Amino acid sequence: MVERKRIGIPEGVKVKESVGEEAEFPFDISPMYEGERIRKGDMFVELGGPTQPGFELVMALPVDQVEDMKVTLIGPDLDEMEEGKAYPYAMIYYIAGEMVETDLEPVIERRNHDFQNYIEGYMHLNQRYDIWIRIGKNAIKKGLKSLIQIAKATMMLYKNELPFIEKIEAVYITDKDLVEKLLNELAMPIFEERDARVEALSDEDVDEFYSCTLCQSFAPTNVCIVSPDRPSLCGAITWFDGRAAAKVDPEGPNRAVPKGECLDPIGGEYSGVNEFAKQESGGEYERIKLHSFFEYPHTSCGCFEVIGFYMPEVDGIGWVHRGYAEPAPNGLTFSTMAGQTGGGKQVVGFLGIGIAYFRSKKFIQADGGWYRVVWMPKELKERVAKYIPDDIRDKIATEEDAKTLDELKEFLKKVDHPVVKGVVRPVDGQKITNGWVEEEEEAEEAVEEVAAEAPAAQPAQPAAMQPMPMQMPGFQLSALQIPASSAAPAGVKLIIKDAKITIDKVIVRKAEKEKKGGK
Amino acid sequence: MTVIAVAGKGGTGKTLVSALLVNFISEHTTSVLAVDADPDSNLPEALGVEDQIKKTLGEIRELFQVSRDEMGTMNKEQWLEGKIYAEAICECPRYDLLVMGRPEGEGCYCFANSLLRGVLRRLMRHYDYIIIDTEAGLEHFSRKTIDSADYIIIVTDMSRKGLATAKRIKELAEELRLNFKKIFLIANKIASEDAERAIRKFVKEEGLELLAVLPYDTSVAELDLRGDPVSEIDKNSEVYRKMREVANLMLNLSVKAR
Repeated sequence: MVERKRIGIPEGVKVKESVGEEAEFPFDISPMYEGERIRKGDMFVELGGPTQPGFELVMALPVDQVEDMKVTLIGPDLDEMEEGKAYPYAMIYYIAGEMVETDLEPVIERRNHDFQNYIEGYMHLNQRYDIWIRIGKNAIKKGLKSLIQIAKATMMLYKNELPFIEKIEAVYITDKDLVEKLLNELAMPIFEERDARVEALSDEDVDEFYSCTLCQSFAPTNVCIVSPDRPSLCGAITWFDGRAAAKVDPEGPNRAVPKGECLDPIGGEYSGVNEFAKQESGGEYERIKLHSFFEYPHTSCGCFEVIGFYMPEVDGIGWVHRGYAEPAPNGLTFSTMAGQTGGGKQVVGFLGIGIAYFRSKKFIQADGGWYRVVWMPKELKERVAKYIPDDIRDKIATEEDAKTLDELKEFLKKVDHPVVKGVVRPVDGQKITNGWVEEEEEAEEAVEEVAAEAPAAQPAQPAAMQPMPMQMPGFQLSALQIPASSAAPAGVKLIIKDAKITIDKVIVRKAEKEKKGGK
Repeated sequence: MTVIAVAGKGGTGKTLVSALLVNFISEHTTSVLAVDADPDSNLPEALGVEDQIKKTLGEIRELFQVSRDEMGTMNKEQWLEGKIYAEAICECPRYDLLVMGRPEGEGCYCFANSLLRGVLRRLMRHYDYIIIDTEAGLEHFSRKTIDSADYIIIVTDMSRKGLATAKRIKELAEELRLNFKKIFLIANKIASEDAERAIRKFVKEEGLELLAVLPYDTSVAELDLRGDPVSEIDKNSEVYRKMREVANLMLNLSVKAR
């Protein structure tokens, strides 16, 4: 971790200091100034921005190292700046308090944008190393003389709005060499470190997930749960975005969902999520597993970037993204599959996801993760290639390797894909599929059994499996196999070959132990 | 903040009306935002500032869609705001110009649009006047990228289609609950007294308020066809004089409303 310490002030630079609260400011401070745009013609000076280096940084320090309400300005102040020019700008805040931790730095840093925009005649844009500030001529006319006044106002807002900050100190820098040096040696390494921590953040590390109901107008029963290991299906919202939105508007489309008790660490099932799902879907769904493909999968809204589809013929999962117009090896296009899965349904055998979920360490981990993936379009595969484990990357076919199920079978056999001999899921080392050989034998038997009962079972087919309503619009499949629970295979497996099935609704329930064998 | 939405069928001259309003109103205050909300129109050309446009809002939204996975813990709303302020808002000498650009492509824009709405709302409230050149479907209003309009000016010519569109815009504006204070009509390219009488009858029937009747002016029509800026319109022409009156009326109305 990058060491957090006070910056050293080089010799020979101009330094101004001021300690204590300011009695009065020559500018208004109010949220109504948010969004105020200072036009080039109305601008006194520009700080940071497209032409000058700049950054903002919050560092948590021990209490004894922070001098409360002190401002140090290094470099020229406003009265030494030339109208219409741009200058380098760094804003560093040292903060301390019993509850202040390094992890809070980015959250606190983000508020600099809000608070500074409350200041009349001061425009703050962007974040981190992109900051761009404009100070209006009007502000100068009204009496703004020094950046120290800006720092004091910002610190005051910090302490008022975030009372857990016990001490705050600011160092503002307009000296070009020092801004550049600290940007490269201090700020960038801290930003990179933060991003690395985000990549490493897991569902286990947090107490709350966030919901998203932005697209409930299209998919009324959709319940998007955004967790550190599972971004939204549309790909737009990460756990961090959810947290930011929930803070601003706790009753808005992104609400906090307390995790509750972890019911299945591998599938990613939490009591809090289940309760939320039940409530938000109007009772339609009672359970959701975040990292499962086959068991209580996440609902699919219609906004998803990628759809996953199970291919029983190879006992593997394929993925196709919105931009791929050709049919996948199962003969269906993205839009056909999206049409039957979308609308906020929980459909076993299909799963909508955001592209960013491919990066997740928990990517469908209950069902073997990447080791169960057999096909994806080349464009999509290349986009996520670096997240695919080395030993499986070349075994996943693209349209260049296989366009049909037969070609796919050939390819998978040739590369010895795990599905051929059985997939061992990395998360706990359990073997979750049996591979092809065994299945083909079972298939023969099953086909005969089903053949006899099939006509009677046409309108609705009860089978001893999973307790979830499944809606399958009529479409033609050369062979359809409904997978049993991946963790504990159930007693019946249906394989229907060369059948044309039209079903409005199938309700499949798990047989209770005592009821096993029929009613 | 006074929002004036100028709508009408393509070819009726609504961009000409919008551009002239921007020119006249910005003589009084520079707190003016011109919005081109019609992908088929050419407000930047009519204002003569097309060279200054860097990006449309639509292009920024597309950029957001492809960049968002790499943003880490960066705040996406701040990212969008920064891009819009830096690249989509074109700083012209007397006003700012925002081009909405083409509608979204495939995929889900729920989140992007939800962020955009917030950014635009906070941006727009700081302008004294916002003049929006919008297509007849009022798409940006129905999507709530733009919240409300105080005054709606419908521009029509004598064509049956122009009038039918005018009628539809009025109905749509009422349905969308834009909370407008007044809805006006400007009749453009009116070549005869018969035509003017027909327009007056239409206005009465539809419960609109007639703001101006502009004659058919060959030099204006040619200028429009060439895509030249409206600033080149003859200052003594009837179109120019009448539009200045309209602008003054709008200025007075909004001062009174404040």
